[in-house]
Order: sequence, then structure tokens, then C-alpha cells
Amino acid sequence: MDKKSMERHISHKFDEDLEQLKNMVLKMGGVVEQQIADAVKAVESADSELAEKVIRVEDEVDLKEVELDEACTSVLACRQPAASDLRMVLAITKMTRDLERMGDEAQKVAKMAIALQDSGSKGYEEARHIGALVQKMVNTVLDAFARFDVDQALEVARTDKEVDREYKSAMREIVTYMMEDPRAITRSMNILWTLRAIERIGDHARNIAEHVIFLVKGTDVRHTSLQEIERRIGKA
Amino acid sequence: MTNSNQTLSTAEKVNQSLQKRYRAEKRFRAYGISAIAFGLLCLVVLFTDIISKGHSAFLQTYIKLEITFDPVEMGLDDPTDARQLAMADFDSLIRNALKEQFPEASDRRDRRALYAVVSNGAAFKLREQLKADPELLNQTVPVWMLADDDIDTYVKNREDAQGETFAGRISEKQMGWVNTLIENDQVESRFNTTFFTSGDSREPEQAGILGALMGSLLTLLVTILLSFPIGVAAAVYLEEYAPQNKFTDFIEVNINNLAAVPSIIFGLLGLAIFIGFFEMQRSLPLVGGLVLTLMTLPTIIISSRAAIKAVPPSVRDAALGLGASKMQMVLHHVLPLAMPGMLTGAIIGFAQALGETAPLLMIGMVAFVVDVPGAITDPATALPVQIFLWSDSPERAFVERTSAAIMVLLAFLISMNTLAIWLRRRLERRW
Amino acid sequence: MQAVNTPIQENEKLNANTNEAERKPSGAEQMNDSAAKVGKTVGKPFAKHPKMTMRNVDVFYGDKQAIHDVSLDIGKNEVVAMIGPSGCGKSTFLRCLNRMNDTIEICKVSGEIKLEELDVYHPKQDVVPLRARVGIVFQKPNPFPKSIYDNVAYGPRIHGLVERKTDLDEIVENSLRRASLWEEVKDRLHAPGTGLSGGQQQRLCIARTIAVSPEVILMDEPCSALDPIATAKIEELITELSEKFTIAIVTHSMQQAARVSHRTAYFHMGKLVEVNDTKRVFTNPEHELTEAYITGRFG
Repeated sequence: MDKKSMERHISHKFDEDLEQLKNMVLKMGGVVEQQIADAVKAVESADSELAEKVIRVEDEVDLKEVELDEACTSVLACRQPAASDLRMVLAITKMTRDLERMGDEAQKVAKMAIALQDSGSKGYEEARHIGALVQKMVNTVLDAFARFDVDQALEVARTDKEVDREYKSAMREIVTYMMEDPRAITRSMNILWTLRAIERIGDHARNIAEHVIFLVKGTDVRHTSLQEIERRIGKA
Repeated sequence: MTNSNQTLSTAEKVNQSLQKRYRAEKRFRAYGISAIAFGLLCLVVLFTDIISKGHSAFLQTYIKLEITFDPVEMGLDDPTDARQLAMADFDSLIRNALKEQFPEASDRRDRRALYAVVSNGAAFKLREQLKADPELLNQTVPVWMLADDDIDTYVKNREDAQGETFAGRISEKQMGWVNTLIENDQVESRFNTTFFTSGDSREPEQAGILGALMGSLLTLLVTILLSFPIGVAAAVYLEEYAPQNKFTDFIEVNINNLAAVPSIIFGLLGLAIFIGFFEMQRSLPLVGGLVLTLMTLPTIIISSRAAIKAVPPSVRDAALGLGASKMQMVLHHVLPLAMPGMLTGAIIGFAQALGETAPLLMIGMVAFVVDVPGAITDPATALPVQIFLWSDSPERAFVERTSAAIMVLLAFLISMNTLAIWLRRRLERRW
Repeated sequence: MQAVNTPIQENEKLNANTNEAERKPSGAEQMNDSAAKVGKTVGKPFAKHPKMTMRNVDVFYGDKQAIHDVSLDIGKNEVVAMIGPSGCGKSTFLRCLNRMNDTIEICKVSGEIKLEELDVYHPKQDVVPLRARVGIVFQKPNPFPKSIYDNVAYGPRIHGLVERKTDLDEIVENSLRRASLWEEVKDRLHAPGTGLSGGQQQRLCIARTIAVSPEVILMDEPCSALDPIATAKIEELITELSEKFTIAIVTHSMQQAARVSHRTAYFHMGKLVEVNDTKRVFTNPEHELTEAYITGRFG
């Protein structure tokens, strides 16, 4: 199962390059994770200061994405990685993209937090549950990547289902609010966008989980149901 | 750099040792140069010695006498009758001519000394002349005749030893007559064609190396015709076909050992087998060739094997990979590529065989053979044997002929080596 | 899962773990360990339309066994690449396919090798017709020291494939064309083949091989002595030739195997570890040894 730790490359530099790529991803993941946590907290408590910080950090994430892309390109060009190494680099390029999108979504959430505060309303407590779920997903998926752990990746995919359910029920709830009190429509719409963004973060986390599975197992599990994924990797 | 006072840097150490190294290098080169110089010196000494001794053999003294073909004196009336011609006494013609010119020689001893001025083979020349031109009968014509070897030696060395008169083995009277002849322009040095056109003789002035040369050529021919194909065939089999086992190892060891066996052993072997068992005649180039074949075979096999081994295996693979049979591979690729090497080795072997004396002594090619052999079944000697024989002769004129014969042998060897180089170049030029 | 830990901290912890685990396996002992891991060949060693079939092939050099129980098919018009570390037996195995190993006395082959219905190692099977059907190209370009024309014409001549000179000319031209060498040498057909550049020489050798119209072409590291441009030309050629011939190629360059072959066979210490579609081998090999070799973890 744990193929990656089997042996080292003959070229130590290659090992170092790959290790560095991995560390860069984890570092970027760490920043994004913090961004998400801050954004969710800002929405919960309508903390515009925290939200500003989230928006500031976004530049850093973008920069990291560019750096990672460059590093991946250079490994591809100079090392011509094959098999698991190739999958690793490919997965990392895709994961970088997903992480960057997560950052964008977090930024959106932060903007909503600012809007919430501007409209003078209190924070949106209901985002707490789904936010915690998504945060856990992100944390787990980064962990799964760090350990090349398929089981954890699968857990993330499973959690994504839960997030979807949460999102749907929250949406129904908000629609009810809006019907009850048309004055609350603006606020409700903002909350809806916030939830939507958080749910999108969950989707990206699921994508990353799929990349981790591809990286470890060599099977492409995108656009596949959870059962199908389990069946495929159980077999592989 | 902390303790730079005690320890020198690498560059400094290198510089220190550099002088020593240069000196050693120079010495080393000097050894090589002196070795070559020594070799060259020996060669120069050898060649000067041989050439200084032998060059005079290429000239021969002739004496002109007015010969009257007197039929009465000769005891012959029809010069076209071969039998009469054979019986005729041409010697008396020469004697008369000499008596006429030097009437002062009256007593028997003087007369004999006078007659000895001209070679005793001169009469044959007169016979040939008369046979060729019967019209000469009763006429008096000037004829150039071979001088005796002692006279020849005297004439050749007379000018060299200016101060003290060199007499050699001739008497004072003979010296006087010869001097008279010289003054009358009746003595001349000509190119010694006899040396190249006749066989051996007891008389140095009539002795030639053609017989020995032909004997050597015929022997060598037999050797080449037998040893090259046999040697190459054996080498090809051993290299390309023979399985690697104890038996082939045994054969290989034996071939290598045979190459180191002294040549006289091969002579003994030839004596026992060809003459003893097969009852062939002695002194035949055929037998000599067979013996030399036995002697050169190991050399040829070893050099041919080396040449075949040197053919890159990639060429073999290429041929086999295309589906060539082993024979096609050998004939189309291995042999043509190995040929220059094989030829070089073989020619070195032949040169060695050409200079070989010992085995030929054993099979009787040391006999005194006057006739020039025309076939491999005619008795013959060989060049080195001829040299050996002449070097043993007491006559002073044979000394220069020995050296001359050595020169001929060397020329033969050098031309063979040149041929080897030329052949190799030619064959190798096919890329 | 402690949510308090940032992934970075986690990562450092993991690295610490790996460092500890890394101490055990290294270098040669690892190779020996891995030999034990070779079991049955994994992947797809068999082809639907096999041109050559090898079953349970063992090869011995004296007492030493060089090939252990290898079964493999080479499909019609397929390019099969054989890769593996030095001394893994891939070249030995390739040379068994047209009995080039016959020249090595101590080499003994058992098992079954068939070219369609022809039993390659049947005691009565002559190697000459076999090698006319299974040609070989060697590692070092080895043109004969003859003219370009004679090089290509040699095979047809010895096999008596043509009767007239014009037919031979045609074969020579076609072979050189197919080896993409015609344009370069058409004006100097009678110049020595050894005067060409390394890459041209190798293409000449390929032309020489295809002049006999074999069914299978074996290539034993055909590009290892060539520069990248010449290599690229030969690779292009291999792809073109696969339309007409069946090709088995041994190569040290994994990238080359990846570029030219349909299936790749990985040999390890005389055993056939894995055969799979080349795409599969180079993205997601089945066997961990293949993975380790492909990714450059030993070799």
C-alpha cells in the first residue's frame, strides 16, 4: 500500500525536488486552511477585520500557486518523472489549482462577512456547522496527501456527501426565511452565497482527495460515485 | 593554510618533483635512442662488411686473346658435327695463342703457369662460339675469355694496394705476363654475368648462384603452396569450428611448442619420414619444401589465428544475424578481413624458411650441384646452403662470392618483405 | 486526527518517521531482497494474434541460470520493448529468439519458442531459414567493410532471393528507402558503408536486415551508441517499420521504450516481472519492482 516509502531514488536531488514540491503544497494547503478557518469565523461573528486579513492572504496564495507551477514544470522538464513520480507531479499541479480555488472561495466568504457587518447584522451562526465540516475535510485531505493515505482520502469524499446534505437543508431553511420575511432577502442571499462558497470549498477538497487516490493508486476516480471509487481502489 | 611554513602546497611539491621527473623522462628516452642507435650501428657494420667484401664479385676479369680456329690443331674438320665438336681440343687453341704472345715461356713449368692465366672453362666458350658460327673455322679472331680466379683477384686488388705490390697466389712471371696484357689493353673488367647465370663450380670464376637461387625458389614454392593453405585451413578450423575442449587445448599447446622447436629437428624429421620412409631422393627441392612446410606451419597457424581473432565479432554477428551460414561468414567476411594479417604472418614465416640452412643440411641439399634445377624433382641446393658451402672454400675469390651471395639473399628477403607490406596495404585499402 | 495540528507540523512529523524507516533498505541488499519479491509475471504477457510465442523459457550459461521461466508473446505488428537493469537477461532472451546464442557453446535453452508454427529450438530446425525470418539489429552499428550497396544486397544474395541485377537494385533501393537512408546515400551507393556516420550506419544495418524481408526484427539496444538526433530518427523508423514488421527491442533507455513500444516487458534478475501496455507501465506499473525501476529508484 505504502509504495512511496519503498525506496529512494538513485538521484538524491530528485528525491529532494519531489520532497520540496510536497512541502510547498502542504505549506500552501496550510495557508489556505487558515484562510478558510478565518473566513468561516469572520462570517460567524461578522468580524470584518478578520475578513480583511483573509482577503490580504489571497495574494500570498496566488504567489504560491505560481511558484508551485514553476517547480512542477521544472521537475517535468528535467527529471522526466515516470509512474508514481509522474502521478505525483500531475496530482500536485491539479491540487494546486484546487487549493487556489479554495482560497478564492474563502475570499468570497470573507467578502460576505464584510457585507454582513456593513449591513449591521450579527454574524451567521448557522455557517458554523458546515464550516467545521469543510475545515475538517481540508485538514484531512492535506493529511491524506502528506501520508499518501487512501483511507483518509475516502473519508474526505464521504464527508463531502454530508456537506452537500447540510448545504441542501440549510438552503431550504433560508428559502423558508425569505418567504416568511421578505426584508430578510438581502441578508439571506448573502448567507446563501456564503454557504455556496463553503460548499464549493468542500467540493475542491473532494477533488484533492481524488487526486490523492490517483496519486497513490494510479486510478482516475474523478466523476465517479463513492461506491464506484471504493470498488475500484479496493480492487486495484 | 595554517601551517604553511612546514608543509608546502601541492603545486609547490609538484614543482619540486618536476625536475626529477623531467630527468627521468629524458633518461628513459635516451635508453631507447641508444638501443636503436646500437642496432643501426650493427646493421651498418654488417652491411659495410658484406658490401665491401662482396661488391667486387659483381665484376669479372676477362682476357683478350687472338684465337686461330685451326682445324688441324683442334682435330676437327666439320664444325657442324656435334660429335666432332665435343671431341675437339679447344684448349690447344688457347695454349697456342698464349705461346704466340709470350714466347719467352719455354720450359714446362712456365708454360703451365702461362696456361693457368686463362680459366680452364674458357675452352667451352670457344666451342660455343664455333658452334654458333661455323664460318670462324680457319680464321683468327680476338676473343674475350674468363681469367683464372687468381688472376682475377690480382687484377682487382692490384690497384687497391698501390704501395706494396699485391701478388696473391700468382707467381712473379704470371704477374709480368698479366701486366703486359694490361698494358696491351688485353685485360678488362666486366659485369660478372656468370655469377647470375650459372650453377656452382669448383672454379670460382665459373661459379654462380643461379642454381642455388632456383633451388631456393623451388623449395619456397613448395613451402608456400603447401603451408599457406594448410595453415589457414587449420587456423580457420581451430578458431571458428573447433569445440572448446581438452583435445583442442592439447593441439593448441602443441602448435605453440612446435613453433619453438629448433629447425634442425624438422630436418631430422624430414630425413626420417620423406627420405627414410617414403624413399624420396635426397637433395630435392620437393623434400626441402616439405620440411620447411613442417617448420613454417606453426608460425602460419599462430599468426593466422591471431589475424582471425582480430576480426571484430560484430562482423560475425552481422553475417550470422542475416542468416549466413558459418562457411559464408568465414569466406565472405572473416577471411577477407583477416587476409592482410595472415599474409604478413605467412610471409614472415616464408622469409624465415628462405634463410633456413640446418634442416636442408639434414636432407642432403648441401650437395655439390652444378646444374641449375628446373623442377622440384631436380637435385638442388639453396641460397643459404650455398653461402655456407662457399664460406668454407679456401679460394680467395670465393670470399667475395660468399658476400655477394649474402647480398643476393638479403635482396631476396627484402623484396619478400616489401611484397608483404605492399600486399597488406593493398588488401587493407579495401576499407 | 488532531485538528489543532497544522498540516505543516504534521508533515514534519511524517518526515521524521520516514527518516527512521529509511535506514533499513539500501543498495545491493535491497536488490537481493527484491529478487525474492519476483513471483509470477504480472500484467498481460500474452497477445491476441501472436507472431512469436515463448513458453517457460529457461536459459543457462553453464551452471548459471540466466533466464527463469519466461513466458511471453509478441503480437503481430507489435513493438515489444524489453527493459530492465543491466544483467537482467533481456539481451540474452532477445538473442534466443533467432538463436544468436548458438554461437556461445555453454548456452543452453529449454522451454518452447515458436515463430508462428515453427519450433525455433527444434533439433532439426536449421538456423539459416530461421534467421531469414527473424532478423536482428545490434547495439553497435556493424556494417560490413563493403560498399553501401553490397551491405544491403548481402542478405538477398546469400539467400538467393533475386535472379536479376535489376531486381536486386530494386530491393536495395526499397530497403534503403524504408530505412529512410536512400536520400542520403543514393549518390554514393558504392562508397564504403563504414564511412557513414553512426546513425546512418545503424540505419544501413536496419536496411540490410529488412532487405531479407524478415517477419520479425529483433533490436538489441539499437540506439545506445548514437546521439539523440540519430536516436530520434531510428525511433521514428521503428514506428514506421511496425506497420509491416513485428519488432522486439531491448533498450536501456526507458524513455525510448515509452516512445516506441506498444507493450513493455520488465526483466529483473532473469525473471520476467511484468508485461503491460506501455502506457500502463509508465504511468501506473503493476509490480513494485517495475515501479522502482521506472522511477529510477534502482537500476
